Amino acid sequence: MASSISSSEEIVHDTRHAVPSGLRLTAADRPGMAQPVPERDIPQQPWRGMALAVTVLVLLLTSLWEWKMRTLELVPGDLGGSFDRWAELRRQVDKHNVPVVILGDSRILFDSDLDRATQLIGVRPLQLAIAGGSGLPVLEDIADDPHFHGLAIVGMAETAYFDLQLAGARPEKAIALSRWESPSKRGSFLIHRVLSHGLAMLDDDYKLSTLVFRLDHNWRPGASDRRNAIWKGEETGADGQTWLWRRLEHDRRLSEHMHNVWLHFFPSQPLDGQTISAVLVRTKVAVDKIRAHGGDVVFVRPSSAPDLRAIEDKHVPRARAWDAILAYAHSNGVHIDDLPAAQNLTLPEASHLSRACATVFTDAYLRNLAGKTPLLHLQPGAPPALSTRNCVRPSLGGLH
Amino acid sequence: MIFNSLIFVVFFAIVLFLHAMPFSWRAKKINLLIASYIFYAAWNPPFVILLWLSTVVDWFAARGLAQADEPWKRRAWMMLSVVVSLGLLCYFKYGHFLIENFAHLASLAGFQYRPPQSSIVLPIGISFYTFATMSYTLDIYLRRAKPARSFLDYALFVTFFPHLVAGPIMRPTELVPQFEVPHKATADQLRFGLALMTLGLFEKAVLADGFLGPVVEQIYDGKAIPGFIDSWVATLAFSGQIFCDFAGYSIAAIGAALCLGFALSDNFRFPYAAVGFTDFWRRWHITLSAWLRDYVYIPLGGSRHGNVRTYFSLMATMLIGGLWHGASWTFVAWGGLHGLYLAIERMLRKQFSGYRPGRAAAAALGLLTFLLVNIAWVFFRAKTFHQAILILGGMFGRNTHAQPELAGVYLLTTTVIIGGLVLAHCSMRNQTLEAAIARAHPAALTALWTIMAFAVVIQHGESNGFIYFQF
Repeated sequence: MASSISSSEEIVHDTRHAVPSGLRLTAADRPGMAQPVPERDIPQQPWRGMALAVTVLVLLLTSLWEWKMRTLELVPGDLGGSFDRWAELRRQVDKHNVPVVILGDSRILFDSDLDRATQLIGVRPLQLAIAGGSGLPVLEDIADDPHFHGLAIVGMAETAYFDLQLAGARPEKAIALSRWESPSKRGSFLIHRVLSHGLAMLDDDYKLSTLVFRLDHNWRPGASDRRNAIWKGEETGADGQTWLWRRLEHDRRLSEHMHNVWLHFFPSQPLDGQTISAVLVRTKVAVDKIRAHGGDVVFVRPSSAPDLRAIEDKHVPRARAWDAILAYAHSNGVHIDDLPAAQNLTLPEASHLSRACATVFTDAYLRNLAGKTPLLHLQPGAPPALSTRNCVRPSLGGLH
Repeated sequence: MIFNSLIFVVFFAIVLFLHAMPFSWRAKKINLLIASYIFYAAWNPPFVILLWLSTVVDWFAARGLAQADEPWKRRAWMMLSVVVSLGLLCYFKYGHFLIENFAHLASLAGFQYRPPQSSIVLPIGISFYTFATMSYTLDIYLRRAKPARSFLDYALFVTFFPHLVAGPIMRPTELVPQFEVPHKATADQLRFGLALMTLGLFEKAVLADGFLGPVVEQIYDGKAIPGFIDSWVATLAFSGQIFCDFAGYSIAAIGAALCLGFALSDNFRFPYAAVGFTDFWRRWHITLSAWLRDYVYIPLGGSRHGNVRTYFSLMATMLIGGLWHGASWTFVAWGGLHGLYLAIERMLRKQFSGYRPGRAAAAALGLLTFLLVNIAWVFFRAKTFHQAILILGGMFGRNTHAQPELAGVYLLTTTVIIGGLVLAHCSMRNQTLEAAIARAHPAALTALWTIMAFAVVIQHGESNGFIYFQF
């Protein structure tokens, strides 16, 4: 007889007698028949007391963990390099008239002070630079967006901008997310943002497995050492402002670690001419498209410490990259070498500026660019220019 | 929506709250149905239409089946259900794969055919819910069951969010009767359900994503030629990752259903303690292997028509099982390898029918089973045959000039986790999880539950989809 789907009728296949103690039948034990309603017994335990104890203990441990994370200078509200946040910012270009966007890698991301920029030019730039990413894919994405008629300031560490094998994947992933983000992912991000305002421990760079993996002190010679990875570089605040993580400005161990990572991370072999030419062509196409919409593109080359700069120049020399791109795309820009007001700034870990110096650098490059594109003007009443003297050095002493 | 996401926490709290309200049973079921659609739509709203299509077609096909007297009419209704369900599956899951293979065959025959770029998106969990709805009509066709009386109960069976996207693959006879009468979790069911969800999330978020995933990715997604240690450690890590990912999901699903007062089927029974492959498949993804046995292997003849037919049925079932997991020949190879293992085991069992292994021999056979399962996992995880051969070469000591790849801490964490996992499976192989929990001291259980919950909290971060969602 057929077993019924309805419970009010007879249910067959009661084979419990065949089950050894401590086991129960599963579908594997009942071939070729309708499967009955599963049994789920609740183990005899004081569940009420246990649940209460677990709740109290987890709250206690979490509070202690939060306290510990704050002693490590993690701060509430820091969303790290969240792509969801980037996608949210990127979608603003489609919704509002955005006059100035900043694109590029971590240098222009950490080294731009958006508050200072607002004081100088009267609008707050939209920060779309991505740490570890080339500015080119985002420039192309903006160029293909008919909503954009403004100015794109493209930050350029040549290694990141030109070497798309090294730095192309992250922007592509972020762009894809800005085009389609599931309601579930979006909702989770919004909740995460609310929680992160109260909890510093919600930092991707300090999650359990990451901390365990960092214990490796080159235990297996020759293998990729987990310690030679970026531990934590950025700290994000509201409105897209991102800084170099505050702890790197005074913790010599961490800043030296990051310095070593950069020295190992940046390739020193010269990049082939074909790749450079391809990037030049793609850049020109994007710049032309933006100009056709009524916008403009300018380039900025932030500073790096001399030892790092030497490696970068070997990989992509200024003449083949920076000079070539300005000439080929008929664009303006400002290179750190040509910016006297921003020399000798503090680079705690050789690649990014301290907060105070980022403000000085932002002031310098925006003043310089203001005369080079019709889409950027210093507003009347802009504060006076800053100089290296305004860049207060941390006690550590920077790597100049 | 996935269980290890923040939005699920909010969603689940709302669902639990509404389910605890003094509404009528019908209103509660409607709440659950709407919640389940929201759960599915949160991934990609338009694909809810597919879910509706699958639900409605099989509902009417089942009614037609029940009312039809003549065999050809019954067969026609059954075929309608199968064709629509498999048609959806073929189009969304295998469409691109079929076209690619057709183009390849055409080029072998001298015709150049360049297929258009595919933009088909695989709807999440389609393999699971199409199998669930097909079992409804097939059970009625095979006269094992009668149609559900209420469309609401049937739609809720298909859509019930705990099992919707990654199983366990429920049969209508397991779930529809539960929806016919009011169900509300007792306080202990709720607490135990939350404990199971903690265990599932710990397996998924902490072990699979946090500790094992990066080890697997470095070797299987990297470009380096892996040596003996790296190949084995990455493959062992994958054996742990796939188990923790999928069994973790199943446990969380069972826990979520229990919090609402419903019972879902067991899907895993400590599979890495299996002795032999028949035993393995009675412990691994039980609801899928039982589905394939009942609706593919037995209809193909099973073991009732002589040796040749039996081996054919076995191999065909395992190849289909492989293909169910993904549209790639590497999955077919994985299924084929398991089919081969099962066939050899069957032959050996016939040859040595009186043999009963002692404890040491059983342990050795268990270890052999685990190692052979790991070799098969290589085809499951590798994206190409070339990569699979490269990793197998490493596992068999052929990549002698390979440089060390995996960091020492990876070797350590993988060894500890996989060692612990296998030991846990061996110690509990002859009991249920509930029986083991019932015997444990409450203080030890409290400590374990706390550690797992705290680990989930401090392992936070970007949630990865479950591996089995893609199937």
